[in-house]
Amino acid sequence: MTGRYAALVREDRVHGSLYTDPRIFVEEMDRIFRRGWVFLGHESEIAAPGDWVVRPIGLESVILVRDREGRIQVLANRCAHRGNRLCWKERGHDSRFQCIYHGWTFGLDGSLRAVSHKAGFDRDRADMPLDRAGQVGSHRGFIFANMSGDAGPLADHLGVGGRDLIERLCDLSPTGNIHFGAGWIGHRIESNWKMWPESDSDGYHLDFVHASMLRAVPDNYYDETVIGGESKNVSRAIDHGGGVSELDLRPSYRRELAWLGTTRDKIASYCAALEARHGKERADRLLWDGPPHGFIFPNLFLGEGNVARVDPVDVGTVLHVHTALQLEGVDQVLNRRLVRQSEAGLGPASFIVPDDAIIAERMQIGFQGLQPPLNGGDNGPGWIDLSRGRARESRADDGTRVGHVSDETTNRAFWRHYRHVMESRA
Amino acid sequence: MAPLPPCDGEPRVSPLPEPLRREIEDFLYLEARLADESRYEEWEALVADDMQYWVPRGRADYDPADRLSYINDNRARLATRIRQLKTGLRHAQTPPSPMRRMVSNIEILAVDHEAGVYTVGSNFVLYELAVQAGAALRVWPGRVTHRLRRVEGRLRMSRKVVELVTAEAPQWNMAFLI
Ligand code: FES
Ligand SMILES: [Fe+2]
Repeated sequence: MTGRYAALVREDRVHGSLYTDPRIFVEEMDRIFRRGWVFLGHESEIAAPGDWVVRPIGLESVILVRDREGRIQVLANRCAHRGNRLCWKERGHDSRFQCIYHGWTFGLDGSLRAVSHKAGFDRDRADMPLDRAGQVGSHRGFIFANMSGDAGPLADHLGVGGRDLIERLCDLSPTGNIHFGAGWIGHRIESNWKMWPESDSDGYHLDFVHASMLRAVPDNYYDETVIGGESKNVSRAIDHGGGVSELDLRPSYRRELAWLGTTRDKIASYCAALEARHGKERADRLLWDGPPHGFIFPNLFLGEGNVARVDPVDVGTVLHVHTALQLEGVDQVLNRRLVRQSEAGLGPASFIVPDDAIIAERMQIGFQGLQPPLNGGDNGPGWIDLSRGRARESRADDGTRVGHVSDETTNRAFWRHYRHVMESRA
Repeated sequence: MAPLPPCDGEPRVSPLPEPLRREIEDFLYLEARLADESRYEEWEALVADDMQYWVPRGRADYDPADRLSYINDNRARLATRIRQLKTGLRHAQTPPSPMRRMVSNIEILAVDHEAGVYTVGSNFVLYELAVQAGAALRVWPGRVTHRLRRVEGRLRMSRKVVELVTAEAPQWNMAFLI
């Protein structure tokens, strides 16, 4: 099978069957979502020992729980006896997990603590914990895990670019900590999951797909940052390597706090607190730059004031699940503003993403029935062009590639890493 | 955010005079039909200046100021929503979804005769044909709590809260008026 993905994913084009072939989806769930790092949630969601939330890793359900020692555990949501689902609510707080099929109980660390009617049980309890993620890691409160345990260090997965994106987001808090207390909103879309790493970091589509939002909300900042003429804006599309991409809007902002739609005098205490933590120069910079817009392979979108997961369901269905950035140590008025902004941008009834969703669904329909080209050739129907801006893309010594915001640099960033993962974990 | 009035157990409101009850029911049916037919301007004409349009994630038992909802529009944001739909470029509703909803189980939950304010609960099932992409028939069941107020002699909505049966689960595109 080696070379199969290299045949479908070229430097400047990819084949449409990648979105519709169920065999490819099965391989992705193993090579990307089981054997690679996946974003799950945030430490603030399981702040105290016993707090738990249920999340997907690919198609598997896992329990993200803070154990008695304060460690983060990622446990299969599947009883070690005969596989009944342990937690069927979204979240909770417990001192142990009891399966309601035959009453086995498990500790917060996944160990098997008690078996009902134990006289007939002749195994060693120590040999029968819940299945668990092979590796769990967190960066500035963002929790990642992988089931296989051989995905390498999290820091390498995130890379300098990915860590920097997360840090720029968290540094907007006067304590350095953000939280996810605004809850999650799920958006169900009839498209392949891979359209979302692409769409979420595509700087080329705004004036078409989001024309209605741009007209209905005249005082948005997109005109200066992403559209307004190819020659006028100086935002950048960046490939940080390792599947981390960014739309860097910072060079285009014409005033500070454009991203928050407010001015310094209205949030004076926040500005003062930020300055107290970071010093004036860095605080000024942060207030100007705002939160980043980037995507970390395979499923974490940092969408300015939003954090989103891309959760695959099947080859033609995905959940785009988001929460609002919430800052620790600020007046709640500011966090409420961020909640309102998030409702406007993301989610099934928002002003932006439903239009992206329709495009993704229409593309999905367009790719139906495509067959991979025979013999690895690049003729035949169903190729998708991703060549835009190759000639004007610059490449730094560390491998970072930088193009104009409207260039397909970010799409190529995703696919280059995708091809690497799918080939190297074959 | 004041909690929703009680909607369990015995009715707490003495029966309304029949013409008033009829007027309230007619308002609910009209509001539903205008939404079904994507008649945005006429629907917006039913809205009072202090409108809150809330579609909570889950039950309507939390303060939407602090937590995300599917929709939490004040009057200004609702105006933006309708302005966006009226551009003709809102791809998620281009063309608008054919829709029909059944409204039933209408109960008057609270009455303030002096202020002319009526709180009304009802159930609905909305059928939507999502024609913009795959043309799936989607079913949206739920419960609405309307707060109606008499403004210059006519009933207007000052609050519409839509609790979906599926409100805990991820939702399909909901770019129409629900
Ligand atoms: S399946 Fe859980 S105790 Fe038997
Ligand atoms: Fe978009």
